[in-house]
Amino acid sequence: MPIHAPHSHLFGSIKLHVISGKLGHGGRRAVYEALNLVAYIDMMTMLVIFLLMSFSATGEIVFVQKNLVLPDALNWMELDRAPVVSVTKDVVTLDGRQVATGDDLNADPATGDSKLNELHENLVTLKNNYKLLHPNEDFNGSVVLQVDKQVEFKSLKKVMYTAALAGYANVNFAVQPKVKGGAAAAE
Amino acid sequence: MSVSVDTGGKGGKKQLNADLNLVPYIDLLTCMVSFLLITAVWTQLARLEAKQKAQGQASTDEQPPTPTVKITVVINDTGYNLVVDQDQTPIPKIDEKNYDTEALQTQLKKLKESHQDKNDVIVASEDTIQFELVVKTMDAVISSRFTDVSLIDAGGAGI
Repeated sequence: MPIHAPHSHLFGSIKLHVISGKLGHGGRRAVYEALNLVAYIDMMTMLVIFLLMSFSATGEIVFVQKNLVLPDALNWMELDRAPVVSVTKDVVTLDGRQVATGDDLNADPATGDSKLNELHENLVTLKNNYKLLHPNEDFNGSVVLQVDKQVEFKSLKKVMYTAALAGYANVNFAVQPKVKGGAAAAE
Repeated sequence: MSVSVDTGGKGGKKQLNADLNLVPYIDLLTCMVSFLLITAVWTQLARLEAKQKAQGQASTDEQPPTPTVKITVVINDTGYNLVVDQDQTPIPKIDEKNYDTEALQTQLKKLKESHQDKNDVIVASEDTIQFELVVKTMDAVISSRFTDVSLIDAGGAGI
């Protein structure tokens, strides 16, 4: 057994924690504090599992506006990527840009044109861009209509008519999905 | 940070302690959570497909179309009107605000039983009908196993 120089000896009347403070840090308050990361790792693991289960590769296709309430539907299908036309009582937007106002929607078709000109031009532009970017693919003519449930059919038919004139005959109405029913059974 | 597994190894013998380094695991979790939060889809929406069919739309087939029954569901202020060729079956509203969608669905299911090969139905709506009711009607039609739904203006239905 090797021989060492003698160190400080503790006396029996002196409390251990007092001496360890004095000897260890020169009388100053200890700054070291162990951080327990077990709870943090558990939280992160649960969060990752939840987000992985709800992950969707298609991403957010339609951003619902705050003043727009969609109707419910039982027989729904998965939403595909397509130009999104939002219709409320006050405004019509295409991919977030305003293309018509409520006055245009309420205009009497007997006295004016049923076509919404700016919407029509933008849709035709999108169609031409698609054909340029996808020369080997057929243009499917799909458009997503995100319509507030209180909008009257009089306004909706103008938007549908404009979309049909622009070459978008395949109209998909955005709906809130409920429990899947007849469409799945029929397929 | 590491996890130490103490097996009580004594002095002079080989230590069996193994420190598991969790730092890369925490880094991985942090990166994954950040990525998944950015790409998360919070609003799940769906679609209801409707075709736009004009009155007497020409077929793209070269052969002349075989005569088939034409089924139209007209939505007006008084209720539904189920039109099969020239036969009309009005389905009045239950009360001031509510339409009798269940009765419509019952009638459509009976039609489907008698016309198994028929899949297309035209929904014709008047101008004052709200979009919510139009969707509800289309939903009832699809529930009755008519998968091909077209939406037109009631004025263009010719009824």
